[in-house]
Amino acid sequence: MDKHISTQFDSELRGVSSRVLEMGGLVEAQIRLAIESLALMSADVALKAIETEEAVNQFEVDIDRELSSIIARRQPTARDLRLLMAISRITANLERVGDEAERMARMVQSICKASQALRLPSGDLRIASDLAAKQLRKALNAFARLDAADCVSILREDDLIDQEFNGFVRRLITYMMEDPRTISASLDLVFIAKAIERIGDHAKNIAECVIYIVKGTDVRHSSMADIETAVK
Amino acid sequence: METTKATTPIDSKISVRNLNFYYGKFHALKAINLEIEKNKVTAFIGPSGCGKSTLLRTFNRMFELYPEQRATGEVLLDGQNVLEASQDVALLRAKVGMVFQKPTPFPMSIYDNIAFGIKLFENLNRSDMDDRVEWALRQAALWGEVKDKLTQSGSGLSGGQQQRLCIARGIAIKPEVLLLDEPCSALDPISTAKIEELISELKKDYTVVIVTHNMQQAARCSDYTAYMYLGDLVEFGTTENVFFKPTRKETEDYITGRFG
Repeated sequence: MDKHISTQFDSELRGVSSRVLEMGGLVEAQIRLAIESLALMSADVALKAIETEEAVNQFEVDIDRELSSIIARRQPTARDLRLLMAISRITANLERVGDEAERMARMVQSICKASQALRLPSGDLRIASDLAAKQLRKALNAFARLDAADCVSILREDDLIDQEFNGFVRRLITYMMEDPRTISASLDLVFIAKAIERIGDHAKNIAECVIYIVKGTDVRHSSMADIETAVK
Repeated sequence: METTKATTPIDSKISVRNLNFYYGKFHALKAINLEIEKNKVTAFIGPSGCGKSTLLRTFNRMFELYPEQRATGEVLLDGQNVLEASQDVALLRAKVGMVFQKPTPFPMSIYDNIAFGIKLFENLNRSDMDDRVEWALRQAALWGEVKDKLTQSGSGLSGGQQQRLCIARGIAIKPEVLLLDEPCSALDPISTAKIEELISELKKDYTVVIVTHNMQQAARCSDYTAYMYLGDLVEFGTTENVFFKPTRKETEDYITGRFG
């Protein structure tokens, strides 16, 4: 991004952008912990994911404070204004991703307490959770590079996670019909699957924010065809 | 999909057609084409020397005060080319009023500052004149502050009050267009806010064109913004588009402070 006359303004914008990436890195780590706790069915690993939540929340508050300060003192316009507005939305989405990761971890803890867990296909969630984590990483990379073209592929791939979610729920229903004793643990798994699906949605929202910064077009609630035209 | 192109005003008060302007050999305005919409505020922004004040001064031929200048092309006020030699300049300036950067009250009473211009064009009796002076001062949001000291000298007022007095003087003769050339650059923030408030009131009755160095001011009080650079009109569009999503990189660099 070429420079402002005020180098101080430049360093403020760079500063707040890199805080977003730090926050993103922390949230990614939190998701990895949540996924690992699910794979290992480990309450200990789940606890680590839950404990990360506080730091994530603090990032959101700090970044918002920086944003208000920059807006008040610099009166940003055009792409600077879009960048700051988008950062506000991106951090809100990252914080929600943190919430979803925490939710996954709590469900894992709850399943660990029940005995029916091992018979359920929890390993099947691996594909969806890896997909969601990958989507988030791509969205953060697109933000770091302000790359709108990459965002389009993120938006397209969101469907894959949704398909995984639907397939998984159908499989769980079979298990529940065969053995009603698995219903309680199955419901926990449905909540986990839902959390994963939501992480994908937040990654998609972040990608939309990046398009907004770069192209100035608000592509929320737009069709894929319209988004592709906007990004061209 | 929203359009990124500058929208063309529909109801033009002033149409600038292929306007070129020279100071001696210096080409100050280069083939400008622009529509100024009626009852809207249009702001000209750009770095010093970009031609924005020169452009403003073609609208009432104020440029004729400078030596060796020359204008080609057309500036149509309601379809009439004001640059034509047959144009009555005094009448033109009654229709197109102007307020300058530095407040310029005449060395006379507040009342006479307003009445002076009216007397050049109209023959009003005392009571009609009183009414007109009060009306102009009210329009300029100054009446409340000066109504008890109308006989005092205009130069005794604060800078912000003096500037509003000049605006009152400008509108007292009921112009159709009001040109403001950096009207707030010598004022404090409170006076500036009052003038800006006034500008948004004035556009109900007048077409306002404002030249400003203060980009936030253009953003706050104009409907359309024109960005000029080195005598070219780089971008013209709704103020919202120019400040949020300009189409030209040059405009974006200027308004975001990357110019330099």
